[in-house]
Amino acid sequence: MAFPSPGFPLSNPLPQVGEGTCAQGMGKGDNAGLRYLIPLLLCSFAACAGEFNAALTLAPEWRGMETASPYYVAPPLVAAGRRAMRSDLELRYRDGGLNAQGTLRGNAREGESAQTKGILNQLYFDGESGAGSGYTAGKKVLSWGVGQGFRPLDLIQREDRRQLNPPPLEGVPLLAWQRYDAADSLTVAWSNPGYGAAALDRDDPGIAAYWYRLAERDDLHAVARISRRHKLEAGAGWARALGEEWTFHAAALYQRRGLTPLNTLAENGGTPLAAADPMQESARDGAVKAVAGMQWTGRAGFGVLLEGWYDGEAWTREQWRRLDALAATQHGLAAAVPQSWVDGNLAWSSRAFEYPNLLRENLLLRLSYEEENWKTHLEWLSTPRDGGLVTSAAATWQGDRQRVSFGLRHPGGAAGSAYARSPQARMAFVEWRYALR
Amino acid sequence: MFKIATIIRHLSRPGGRCYGLLLAFLMSFPAHAADDVAALLKKADAYRLPAQAVRVETVVELYRNDTLDKERRYTVYIKPGRRSLVLMKSPAEIGQKVLMLADQFWLLMPDTQRPLRITASQKLLGEAAAGDVATMTWSEDYDGKVSGESEIDGEACLHLDLAAVRPGVTYTRVELYLDKRSKRPVKADLYVSSGKRAKEARYETRTVDGQPRVMAMTLHDDIQPNRRTVVRYLNIQAKEAPDEFFNPAALVRNSLAGW
Repeated sequence: MAFPSPGFPLSNPLPQVGEGTCAQGMGKGDNAGLRYLIPLLLCSFAACAGEFNAALTLAPEWRGMETASPYYVAPPLVAAGRRAMRSDLELRYRDGGLNAQGTLRGNAREGESAQTKGILNQLYFDGESGAGSGYTAGKKVLSWGVGQGFRPLDLIQREDRRQLNPPPLEGVPLLAWQRYDAADSLTVAWSNPGYGAAALDRDDPGIAAYWYRLAERDDLHAVARISRRHKLEAGAGWARALGEEWTFHAAALYQRRGLTPLNTLAENGGTPLAAADPMQESARDGAVKAVAGMQWTGRAGFGVLLEGWYDGEAWTREQWRRLDALAATQHGLAAAVPQSWVDGNLAWSSRAFEYPNLLRENLLLRLSYEEENWKTHLEWLSTPRDGGLVTSAAATWQGDRQRVSFGLRHPGGAAGSAYARSPQARMAFVEWRYALR
Repeated sequence: MFKIATIIRHLSRPGGRCYGLLLAFLMSFPAHAADDVAALLKKADAYRLPAQAVRVETVVELYRNDTLDKERRYTVYIKPGRRSLVLMKSPAEIGQKVLMLADQFWLLMPDTQRPLRITASQKLLGEAAAGDVATMTWSEDYDGKVSGESEIDGEACLHLDLAAVRPGVTYTRVELYLDKRSKRPVKADLYVSSGKRAKEARYETRTVDGQPRVMAMTLHDDIQPNRRTVVRYLNIQAKEAPDEFFNPAALVRNSLAGW
């Protein structure tokens, strides 16, 4: 039986809270050529006629490990990653329809050697093809739909909205055509053209259409997409501002094929230890995602956001119970089999904590306050099915050129909840950003 | 004391033909008063907005104890129908856009490239709200009466008491002081829906291309008197951007390059 070598989880470290598919996607631009080519290319734009902007970001963070978690695996099999530092030199250039954004990133994590990489976040051209119509070619951030904590209509960008301190987004390669007038807009986009079968949604090739209408006081959205992974997806959304203080929004998406990574040992039974990664994507017909929320913003700077969402691709309470039972069984085998076999399987299972939504039903309450240079918020994400609760607090100070942010996140809630059983304990971050020009 | 209704009944009674003309004359007074206010507001607007569709280069300065604390730059496109598009140009905000369609606002952040509905009260900087930068007229949003005359900084001014005629404007009531002779705006007291005075605005006029224009607006905060926000209009140019640029979904495009 070939169990994961101690090196396996190091190359696939334990998912960090706030690092999801977006962080994985960053790796696409990671090679020695890009590392230096992107900054050089963008710096050379500084001499050109367009707008050139540069910013430096230093973002240290601290992540605690919950050693009492049934999914905790001690280092070195899983990197502890208690302290890390992200350093970004972000460069942007814009000239007419040409847009470029690149990042030279240095990553340092406790117990690992420092790495640098170049990331091409965006490089695209927006052209006009007549009055009220245009095209886009290149790699672009293209976000659709409504929602704060969850955006089911984001069929191309598919960003993880639950990151505490997200790095700049990386766009998706696409060819798009857009027609728009004063109130309507239609976009047809071919994302990841030429790509083959992909393991991640953001790399999945597909043809998508997005329709928007401003109908009096309502924003109406509709999307449809055909892709290899999900077949047909279709959805609609709505948003309205009421008076000077209230906004409401809602959206729903139907997926012909929903995809959920599950632990096959937990779902199918049989032997409690796997020799190969048991976390396999499971497909089912007909998945639904939906979000609804309201936001109040007062003149004094206070704000309240209440949002609930359902993610039909996330796990159910029963699936978590089965994974918990599997983890308990695996711990029980520790005396009979090598510890590395048990630890390897637990490390595989712990990837379930990587998903943006741990359970299907989620409720978010965010209280915010803004005053001049300061923005602060305190929020609670609840998973009512199991009593899980994630508490986050963050503050940002914005100056003329400098911005300083800091925040905390603590997963917890009822003892048996997924968040309370997470191997990730609390997390803290500080980010200093300086706009060079 | 006569009641208005009694007078009208008296004047309208059968046989009161000669009073009919008098009645018509009296009835026409409120309409004339309203017309006067509308005309005054249009004259005042002309000092701020020389054309129906314009592009305005704006800088907002926040002073603390008379020392410049922060500065933000904006390019604002304004079209009839209460449509405005604000492009943020300062390093801290570069790439952000705010679209205003009547009393509805959208914000586009460059990192997410997704238009987000915001409310009019969400501020841009200091005491300047989005509406302060994106709106440069009164005649489309307010009506009221000339309530008297006052002297402001030694200038004889008409005192207009204005109420919003549309929902969702940044200030529900404005006490506007216009120079009595030229109808140039001098000062405004700006009130929010609670009835409380939020700000005092002072208008600075200079001659540009041979025409007197409002080139700066200074906003004073009643609660924090050591702070003031100055909105300077660096350049106002007649320019009509196409209607489709004022579509919230089109904010993600760079269509305004060259405009």
